[in-house]
Amino acid sequence: MSHIEIDKREFEQLIGRSVSENELKEKASNLGAHWNHLEGPKWDVEVYPNRPDLLSVEGLARAYRGFFEVYTGKEEYEAKEHEISLEVDSSVEDVRPYIGGAVIRDLELTEKKINGLIQLQEKLHETMGRRRDKIAIGLHDLSELQAPFTYKTVEPESVDFTPLEHDKPLHLEDILEVHEKGKEYSWILEDAEKYPIIVDANEKVLSFPPIINNQLTEVQPSTTDVFVDVTGKDRKAVRKVLNILVTALSERGGDIESVEVDGEIMPDLGSESRELDVEYFKKISGLDLTGEEIVHRLEMMKYGAELSEGVIEVEVPCYRNDVMHQYDLIEDVVIAHGYREIEPEMPEIDQIGGQEAIEKLTDTVREIIQGTGALEAHSFALSSDEKLFENMNIEKEKVARMNNALTKDYSVVRNWMLPSMMQVLESNRHRSYPQKIFEASDTAVLDDSDTGVSNRRKLAYVHAGEVADYTDVKAVLQVLERELGLELEVKSAEKGCFRQGRAGDILVKGERIGIIGELHDQVVENWGLENEVAGFELDLERMMENI
Amino acid sequence: MKLSAQAKQVIEELKSGPITVSELEELGFDQSMVNRAILELEEKELIELEEEEEIVQKITESGKNVAENGSPEYRLVEKLRENQPVAIADIENPDLAIGKGKQKNWIDIREGEVYLTEDGENAEDGASRKLNSENFDEELEDRGLIETNILVEKKLIPTEKLEELDLDDIEQEFDVEADVKTPRTGKRHFYKHIMDQARQTWLEMGFKEMTGEFVVPSFLCFDALYTPQDHPAREMQDTFFMETPESSDLSGYGASVENVKNTHENGWTTGSTGWGYDWSMEEAEKNVLRTHTTAVSARKLNELEKEDLPAKYFDLSRVFRNETVDRHHLAEFYQTDGIVVGEDLNFRNLKAYISEFFERMGFEEFRLIPSYYPYTEMGVEVQVFDEAEEEWIGLGGAGMFRPEVVKPMLGFEATVLAWGLGIGRIAMRSAELEDIRELYRNDIKLLEQTPKWRPENK
Repeated sequence: MSHIEIDKREFEQLIGRSVSENELKEKASNLGAHWNHLEGPKWDVEVYPNRPDLLSVEGLARAYRGFFEVYTGKEEYEAKEHEISLEVDSSVEDVRPYIGGAVIRDLELTEKKINGLIQLQEKLHETMGRRRDKIAIGLHDLSELQAPFTYKTVEPESVDFTPLEHDKPLHLEDILEVHEKGKEYSWILEDAEKYPIIVDANEKVLSFPPIINNQLTEVQPSTTDVFVDVTGKDRKAVRKVLNILVTALSERGGDIESVEVDGEIMPDLGSESRELDVEYFKKISGLDLTGEEIVHRLEMMKYGAELSEGVIEVEVPCYRNDVMHQYDLIEDVVIAHGYREIEPEMPEIDQIGGQEAIEKLTDTVREIIQGTGALEAHSFALSSDEKLFENMNIEKEKVARMNNALTKDYSVVRNWMLPSMMQVLESNRHRSYPQKIFEASDTAVLDDSDTGVSNRRKLAYVHAGEVADYTDVKAVLQVLERELGLELEVKSAEKGCFRQGRAGDILVKGERIGIIGELHDQVVENWGLENEVAGFELDLERMMENI
Repeated sequence: MKLSAQAKQVIEELKSGPITVSELEELGFDQSMVNRAILELEEKELIELEEEEEIVQKITESGKNVAENGSPEYRLVEKLRENQPVAIADIENPDLAIGKGKQKNWIDIREGEVYLTEDGENAEDGASRKLNSENFDEELEDRGLIETNILVEKKLIPTEKLEELDLDDIEQEFDVEADVKTPRTGKRHFYKHIMDQARQTWLEMGFKEMTGEFVVPSFLCFDALYTPQDHPAREMQDTFFMETPESSDLSGYGASVENVKNTHENGWTTGSTGWGYDWSMEEAEKNVLRTHTTAVSARKLNELEKEDLPAKYFDLSRVFRNETVDRHHLAEFYQTDGIVVGEDLNFRNLKAYISEFFERMGFEEFRLIPSYYPYTEMGVEVQVFDEAEEEWIGLGGAGMFRPEVVKPMLGFEATVLAWGLGIGRIAMRSAELEDIRELYRNDIKLLEQTPKWRPENK
């Protein structure tokens, strides 16, 4: 989600009427952009990534002009015939293959409007632009430039110019090393041997996309004519972003003029035609609206719409990037209708609820252990080598491990439960003893499944106190055995986490399903405990197979 | 000697030595009961009282602000890193930001404008880090970011007279009105109890429970849910990617893999335009820790046959996000997902299921507001009205799965209602927690003393 800051007075001017605070607070968010009042005329608007066309005050005003029914239906944008052309050299294909361009003339700019424009540019970079990798935008004062322009690649050290926010000329490679924007975005050109630039007829550099523009072409309040370039790696995204920009500038009163880009006339401001079937709409939304009512709601959302014989011809504006399916049109109609207006209706589906066997067994086991007077814990499944192995005095085992964890504390998925129980005891050192804690929860163990790892439900129980020995926990295990009607067997065994001679494997029908014992003094010390601890751990899924 | 029942119970605890009032409370004695017993035992010279001071430190309101948003001086540094110099007049909270910034040698002031020093370039926000890790020191105290209180703890010391007393000789005065010690009991975790109630609610509504794995291929977590491969959610900072095991074998998903590929690239036969890019198998095979339980719903769609419809399933389990853990964020938490799959389902039905669930969970008012997910359309945020706080709180997302999700995974067309809701906030309110980590800390006192949550008494 992106946040933009806008001025309510500008919004009202563009929309063509005054708008009350209450309208913005209560009604405006129903369109799908959330309005929060900052102070005075300033508002913060939160925009979802599917609507990049709303990332400017101009785009918002256009949408709300329809939603508030000031002017519904599609806006018409036209581009005057081109005077400027832009050549594209084939060498850009390996680096940044696509470019779009357009000219806006007769703008009346102010500091404030320029700031809004920069905000739109930056937000588009962050969202659709994927931090300038997929698309990047340049805005230029046309007065300093001589057409035709050329988009090409050059050797990094062969060209220099004075970039924005800098005081002297730099070579392209130095821009990546020295300039703040260069450092921030150099990763995009990491694999490039030659760098892309846009130059005018006199080889003056307009831009070094996607990094920085020439200071010479900086847009200022005195600027009236602007050249817009959009470069990128995705043909469709480049065209959409160009349309979002030029239509926003046109909402500001500028005149759009096309540019011939490598033989193609840009921008293409024509709408796309889609069909919306009235019956399909009714089926999906559950709303019994007439064709005319649907048309009106589409117009509120700034579509062109015409009904003929149960099908609505919808004209999708050139700046919309999110209409892929009839479902997208249906959503917009329902938004215009208002989610609040929708009456819930429970369908009749005859189905009896139910749980999987392991879930039921887990609940039964929890109830049994709770009956022995133990408190249930609730711990993290994510853990660390230190907790799972080092602190437990055992050899490191192979476990599910992440490759990008932010901290070591959450870098693996636990494969057993006793470490989690020790952590619970650790955080209750200042509480009175004895402490009896249990948890039945998921661990993950490596196996030969499709992913290579599966969840495994396990139960662990610990008893800590001044005297807490094997018999205390064996007693609880026996309660479990009795209540589940199991025949468990304990065979003496050695394990690093337990005291020698006070540990065993738990078996059912000869298969090992768990371990029991008194925790080794070293383990108790590792967890910062002073009392004695005994405990057991059972694999509930293996146990279930043998009940 | 005659003693009341409560005094006698306190004596029992004193057998093993001196004990403090808060230890008694922890053992189940209530405060007024302890106070009366103390008066009685002092009068009979069975105990002496000793007072101990305990120092308790906690974060103040301004401390919370710094913990969340950073200290004023560090915010200034961040601002300068973006663009410098900055005029003093444009600085938020200038007294503190400049004062502290200069003191730490992070900034330099020349002609009314503030510049970053070399120290400032490399500065870290110590104040906020210390607050978040609860590593309190004097500087925090001096700045009023934490406050220190001295709690006086009363300790009961048994006298010789008590030690010589034969407990069997005590006659108990029977007082039916007095409180007695509350016993320690086994108990479900308060958060798990709420989850059990939610699970029970879905079952009552006729849903079947589905379960899934923590580790899933990106295919299930993202591709099957029509999330394009260059979507920001798939970037490293949000999602845990696996090193072991690194990737999955997708052959178990049959034709769905090819269907999903085609849908992303050109819409396949779903009636969509698709995203229009070259889909990569390698990207889809990468294992991740599931970021939402919707991955479980996607798997279920893949398993259903035409004759199983209509069908409704729910899941309530853990999801993972690669976040720095602090008082508001966790690297893992719970979601409850649901799907209803049928030939003739609509948006009004979706609203009915969600409203029914929250009504049963004790929320009378709920609303849907527009939101966005790549896999749903309508995409809505679900909010319930919290009567105690008089505010709307967001509890998750819902919508109808896009045809681009349903047909490739199910193999045929159907309508699917879907939601993914969080209930952690209900648990936090019920236990009156401000720090989300408390849900996993298992403080015995909190576990014992948090009353059972009931929907009618939320």
